[in-house]
Amino acid sequence: MSTPLTIPRLEMAMTEGVLAEWLVADGAQVNEGDLIYTLETGKAVQEIQAPVSGRLMQKAQAGETYPVGTDIGEIV
Amino acid sequence: MGRDYSPVIEGGFFMQQLVQTNLGIEPTVLVEIYRQMARIRAVDKRIQAGLSAGQFLFSYWPMTGQESIPATLAQLINARDYMVTTYRGIHDQVAKGVALEGLFAEALGCIDGVNKGKGGSPHISDPSSGSMLTTAIVGAGAPIANGLALATQLRAEDRVTVVNFGDGATSIGAVHEAMNLAGVWKLPVIFLCQNNQIGEYTKIPGYTASKDFASRAAGYGFKGVRLDANDVPAFYQGMKTIVQEIRRGEGPVFVEAVTQRLGPHAGVGDSHELSAEELKAAKEAWPVPRIRALLVEAGVCTEQHLAEIDEAARAEVEQAITKALARQATPKEEMLLDVYADPSVPPRRGHYPCREAEAAHTGPTKTMLMLEAVRDAQDLALAQDKGVFLLGEDIGDPPGGLFATSKGLQTKYGQARVRPTPIAETAIIGAGIGAALVGMRPVAEIMFNDFAGVCLDQIFNHAAKQRYMSGSATHVPMTIRMMVGGGIGGFGAQHSQSLEAWLLHTPGLKVAFPSTPFDAKGLLLSCIFDDDPCVHLESIKLLRGVRGEVPLADYRIPLGVAKVRREGSDISAITYGWQVQECLAAAEELQKEGVSLEVIDLRTLVPVDYHRVLESVKKTRRALVVHAATEFCGFGAELASTINEELFSTLKAPVARLGADYAPIAYCREIEMNQIPQAKSIAARVREVLAFKE
Repeated sequence: MSTPLTIPRLEMAMTEGVLAEWLVADGAQVNEGDLIYTLETGKAVQEIQAPVSGRLMQKAQAGETYPVGTDIGEIV
Repeated sequence: MGRDYSPVIEGGFFMQQLVQTNLGIEPTVLVEIYRQMARIRAVDKRIQAGLSAGQFLFSYWPMTGQESIPATLAQLINARDYMVTTYRGIHDQVAKGVALEGLFAEALGCIDGVNKGKGGSPHISDPSSGSMLTTAIVGAGAPIANGLALATQLRAEDRVTVVNFGDGATSIGAVHEAMNLAGVWKLPVIFLCQNNQIGEYTKIPGYTASKDFASRAAGYGFKGVRLDANDVPAFYQGMKTIVQEIRRGEGPVFVEAVTQRLGPHAGVGDSHELSAEELKAAKEAWPVPRIRALLVEAGVCTEQHLAEIDEAARAEVEQAITKALARQATPKEEMLLDVYADPSVPPRRGHYPCREAEAAHTGPTKTMLMLEAVRDAQDLALAQDKGVFLLGEDIGDPPGGLFATSKGLQTKYGQARVRPTPIAETAIIGAGIGAALVGMRPVAEIMFNDFAGVCLDQIFNHAAKQRYMSGSATHVPMTIRMMVGGGIGGFGAQHSQSLEAWLLHTPGLKVAFPSTPFDAKGLLLSCIFDDDPCVHLESIKLLRGVRGEVPLADYRIPLGVAKVRREGSDISAITYGWQVQECLAAAEELQKEGVSLEVIDLRTLVPVDYHRVLESVKKTRRALVVHAATEFCGFGAELASTINEELFSTLKAPVARLGADYAPIAYCREIEMNQIPQAKSIAARVREVLAFKE
C-alpha cells in the first residue's frame, strides 16, 4: 500500500506552498520521521517528515509553487 | 488504557517511600503521568505527521510542550468531574478520557465523530468523560465553567470543575467576570491558566505588563497559585492539595501552570515566535523527555518498560486513526438536525408547519399586570422543578428585580435558587449555560435587551450553537428574559432599542415576545421547560401598563403559534410585542373609515408561525408587517419577503413594512414617538397599501 504525499496545509490561511528542495533522492529508502523535503510558506520554512517508512517516489519538481493538496509524490 | 504496568521497584513499602522522597511523588503516579503524556505525545505526533504528509486536512492548534498539565490532573480527577477547554485542547481531551477514535473522527468531520462532525477539532463535547464544552472563543469557557460548578454546588455534589485556558485569555473580560462571580459564590472551580508564554502570535510581555497572573486571584478574594508545570512532581503535589480543597467546598482557585508552547499558533512544526536559543532551552525543559529520563534515572522504569509504554500509546493512536479514516463524512442531510431538539423549528422555504394552538383555559383566574404574570410563571416553575433557578442583577428581595418581576421569590425559595448577581452579563449568561449543560433549567434576567451587546458571545456563540456543535451530545435548556424599552420616552438610545432581529438571525435560539399577561405566563412557562435556549422578550411598557385575566394554574402556550387578535377582511397587520396594542388601536381608527384590519400577533418569532400568517393573508390579500425595531433589515423584511414570494399572484398590493426610522432611539419624547410606529402612523401606512393600484 502506498502513502501519498500532498502539499499540506500548515497554517489556517495557507493556500499554496513552495516545494523548495527534495532532501532525499527519487527512489531512495526512507524511515518514518526522516526529513524528506523542504516546504516554504508565507510564514516559514518547514522540513517535512516521512509519515511512513518505504521507498520515496517523487512526482513533482522542486523549486515550484503548488496549491495545497497537490500530489507531489508517494512512499511505496 | 489498562493500568497493568507496575514500576520495577522491589523491596516493598520502604523502598517505595525512599524513591518517593527522592522523586517528590509516588513512583506509580509518576509512571501513570508519563503514560498519559505518552498518549498525548503520540496523538500530537500522528496528527502532525498526517497533516504534513497531506494524509488529511483539518485545523490544528498544537499544544506541544503542555502535555504534563492534563496528564497530571488526570491522576486527581475522574469522569464525574467537569472540564471545559479551548481549541488548543486535544491534550486535555485525551487525558480526560475522550475516546480517541471518536475524537479523530470528529476532527475529520465524520458522522461517527464524538459530535457527529458538526463541532470538529475546536468544539469537542463528550459528557461521558466529563469533557463538557470546548470553545474557540478565547476566555469564553470560564463563565460557563461557573455554571457547571454552580450545578454541583446546588446539588451538593463533590465534583470538581476545571476550566482550561491559555495565558492570552487573561486579557479578556469574560475571564474577569467569571472569576469575580466564582469568588462571590465560592464555586468549586479551578481556573487553570496554561501559561505557555504566547498569546496566539504575541509573546509575553507584548500583550501584558503583568509580572504574573496568579496574583490577580487575590483581587477577587480567593487563592491564586503559580506552579511550574515542567516540574511534574511539584506540579502534582500542588494540584493535589488544590483538588482536595475544591472538593471540600473551600471555593475557587486560580492556577497559573507555567510551561512553554513549542509549536506555532496553528499548523505543525516548531514555534515561529521563539528564537533558536529559546526553542533549544524550551525543549530541554520539556517534561516529556525529562520525565522519561527521570523514571530511568530513579530506577522506577527500565528503558524497555518505557519503550513498551510508548509503543502501546503509538499503537492505540494508530488503531484509532485508521478506524477514523475509514469513517463516513457527515452527510448534508444532517444540516438542519441538531439545531433544535425539534427538526421542524428551523425556518425553511416552503415548509410551514401548523402547530396546534393551546386549548381554551377553564379554571380560576386573577387580574394581573404583565409583571405579575411573569412573576407567577417563575413562581410555578420554581415550585415544580428543583432544577429551575433564577439569576440576574438585583433580582433578590428587595427589590425583587428592577421591574418587580421576581418580587417575593427569593423570600419564598431562598438565596440558592433566586440569585442576585454582580453587574456582569457575560458571567450571568455563562453561569446559566453551564448549569443548563448538566440538566438544570436556569432563568437568567438581562435587565434591558440593550445589554445583550455585553454578553452576545455567550448567547450567540455558546448558548445558541452548543446543541449543534456537540451533535446533540449536550444542549442548553436555559431561558433568558430580556426587558425591552421603547414607547415610553426618556430612556435614551441605550435603553430603548428593540433588538430581536439580532437574536432571530442566530440559528439555535427560540424567541418569544408576548403582548398580554396571559401570553406572558404561558409562553414563559413553555420557554423554561423547553429543551433549547429561549429568549423571552418583555416590553417594559406592557409589564407595567397592561392588565388581564390570568389563570392561576400552570398552562403552556406552545412556541410557534400565532393568534388572530382581531378579525378583518381588507388587510392583515402582522406584529408582536407592544406593537400589537398599537395595531389594535389603528384598527379601531380605520374601522371608522370602513377599513377592516385583521391583527395577527405572532407571539413567538422563532419558531415563526408562517402557516397562520399565510392563511390570514390568503384571506385579506394584503399585508403590513409592523414592529418597534428599526425597519431597515428588521424582522419585517423577512416576513414581507416570504409572504410576497408565497402569495405573489394572490396579493392586491406588495406586502409593506413599518418599523422605526433609521436612527438611534432619541431621548426626547417628541422624536421617539414619531420614530417608532404608533396607531396613527400604522393607520396611515395601511391607507397607503390600500391605495396601491397596479
